[in-house]
Amino acid sequence: MFKLFSSLRKELLLLINDKVGLALMFLMPLLLVFIITIIQDSAYKMVNENQIPLLVVNHDQGKEGEKLVGLLKGSGLFKIDSQNSIQQQSLRSELLSRGKMIALFIPATFSAGLESNAEDVSSILMDDLGLEHDKTGREKVSMPKLSFYNDPVLQENYSYSVMSVIQSYMSVIENSLMIDRMYANMDIAERSAKLKDKLISNRVGIDQIVARNNNSTAIPNSTQHNVPAWTIFAMFFMVVSLGSNIVKERVNGSFLRLKTMPTTFMVVMLSKMAIYVVVAALQVALTFSMGVWILPQLGLPKLSVPDNIIATIAVIFISSMAAVSYALMIGAFAKTEQQANGFGAISIIIFGAIGGILVPTFVMPGFMQFFSNFSPLHWCLEGFYVLFLKGGSWQDLRAVFAFLGIFIVLCQLGTYFKLRLERII
Amino acid sequence: MGMAGQVCIEIRDVYKRYKSAREDSLSAVSLDIIQSDVFGLLGPNGAGKTTLISILCGIIPVSSGSVRFLHNGISYSDHERKSRIGFVPQEYAFYQELTPRQNLDYFGAMYNLSKNRLRERREHLLEVLGLAKAADEKVGTFSGGMKRRLNLAIGIIHEPEILFLDEPTVGVDVQSRNAIIRYLQRINQSGTTIIYTSHHMSEAEEFCKNIALIDHGKVIAAGGLQGLKTAHGAGDLQTLFIDLTGEAYRD
Repeated sequence: MFKLFSSLRKELLLLINDKVGLALMFLMPLLLVFIITIIQDSAYKMVNENQIPLLVVNHDQGKEGEKLVGLLKGSGLFKIDSQNSIQQQSLRSELLSRGKMIALFIPATFSAGLESNAEDVSSILMDDLGLEHDKTGREKVSMPKLSFYNDPVLQENYSYSVMSVIQSYMSVIENSLMIDRMYANMDIAERSAKLKDKLISNRVGIDQIVARNNNSTAIPNSTQHNVPAWTIFAMFFMVVSLGSNIVKERVNGSFLRLKTMPTTFMVVMLSKMAIYVVVAALQVALTFSMGVWILPQLGLPKLSVPDNIIATIAVIFISSMAAVSYALMIGAFAKTEQQANGFGAISIIIFGAIGGILVPTFVMPGFMQFFSNFSPLHWCLEGFYVLFLKGGSWQDLRAVFAFLGIFIVLCQLGTYFKLRLERII
Repeated sequence: MGMAGQVCIEIRDVYKRYKSAREDSLSAVSLDIIQSDVFGLLGPNGAGKTTLISILCGIIPVSSGSVRFLHNGISYSDHERKSRIGFVPQEYAFYQELTPRQNLDYFGAMYNLSKNRLRERREHLLEVLGLAKAADEKVGTFSGGMKRRLNLAIGIIHEPEILFLDEPTVGVDVQSRNAIIRYLQRINQSGTTIIYTSHHMSEAEEFCKNIALIDHGKVIAAGGLQGLKTAHGAGDLQTLFIDLTGEAYRD
């Protein structure tokens, strides 16, 4: 027991003395979570949040433009930023400079054009029904056009969806105007409300059902991607500290010296693994605390901690074991500290890129989504996704544990055989 | 401790060939090492000294032949051997990021020393090897001599019966070398058997009682230092060494 305690103490002291390693393992994830969450927040909001930020410039001289803006606001789908003083010519640059991705321009003749069209429709109906109506003094105004601006990075289908929503509200306004005009021409304007209500409000509804495993209310947002993603990235970056630590002990003869002592090498390896699993748990505690308490203070989404605590602990443990095992293997194979640091860091960046840490896998092309299965970071992230976004049942975590389990065994075997070849074990 | 004059290590017909090597690193090596001896393994670079020490310490296995560790004529197990031997390698085999106290605490615990015994030995060695003042400073900042002394302290913290030293004074100043040799002589007088390699012939001549000269993996001469010098008509160990191994470069 004293041996194990001394070995743990030695590993802890080595870790405390490794200032660069500590900075990489603890400061880096905090900075990355902080910066990348802020950067990606608007993009995630665009995709995930109920309210779409929309810049509206209403130059309409009548009241229908205001009505359209009111309907869009009332829908709850849009977060409207009304900037009526902006000229249409400068709208493109204003859109980009204000950090919005879509804008709607309502022209000056919007109301006049709609009313003119409603009058035409009403006239046709009155004529067809053989009813008399006032045909004089009406100024003909052509049908207006709304202008829709969008950032070029926005996906085309997303723009079409927003335009369809605007079109549906336009239908409401146009139908309402036509009914009003027809009833007015028939001198029964006060009775139009009932028909309008029937035609406009009472339409086929759509029930939206989200396919989740249980009653989890978590929805994907920038925090829920970035907090676990960069924590995993930092966990695997322990390769710089642990990997070079092993290379040093191999190269300077400490391992060989231990071989001449009445101790087992298992004590050394277990101590290393235990200390670095604790490091990984601390990394999770630190970044998750940031997600729960700090990010909401900056107006970013709060991290909702999963309900299944046992599954969460299991995911953290297997992820940290995967990171530790990878670092041990790199440390066993690298000939120099520089090799361990260089190859270790670059391999983690590549694993991170293909594993969906930098960019979520769901936006990757199909073949890259296939390759992401070969990244241990992908499976660690998948574990956290199951916890955060899908309710986290053990059933869903089975694939995560299977892949990471295989990865851990392969890394441990690789380490064992390499150290055995060098006669350290 | 066993009685002086008894064989404590019996090496018989040992061969060692590394994988992918074309020649044996050790060939038909047979030696007896006597209890409480200071035994010098001497030879040019690449002669096979470190290979032999590595075999004796259990770091690498023999290709053929046998090595027996004996106590009162009875051989003991590999596991027991690990408790009875101390090893001071050529490299600084410790943690440069830690202090001498922390290094000694760690390696002492690996030798199964109790907490109290470890503290006692640690403080004693720090004092006698002149490391007490720097005991809580990181080893990375130390001079070569201080590092050598710490390397030695780690190898003897558990008071081994047999101590293997692979060039323990290489690259150190006269003062450090003197301190190391004086301390080794002290522990030898108290019964520790010392097996030692060095390139310093004058140091070996002063320190060793018996020697084995190894060249190309073979023992070319072995026995009492004085007897060998007389038998080969050499005035000193360096002359004997050159006479037997030649003047050609070996690296």
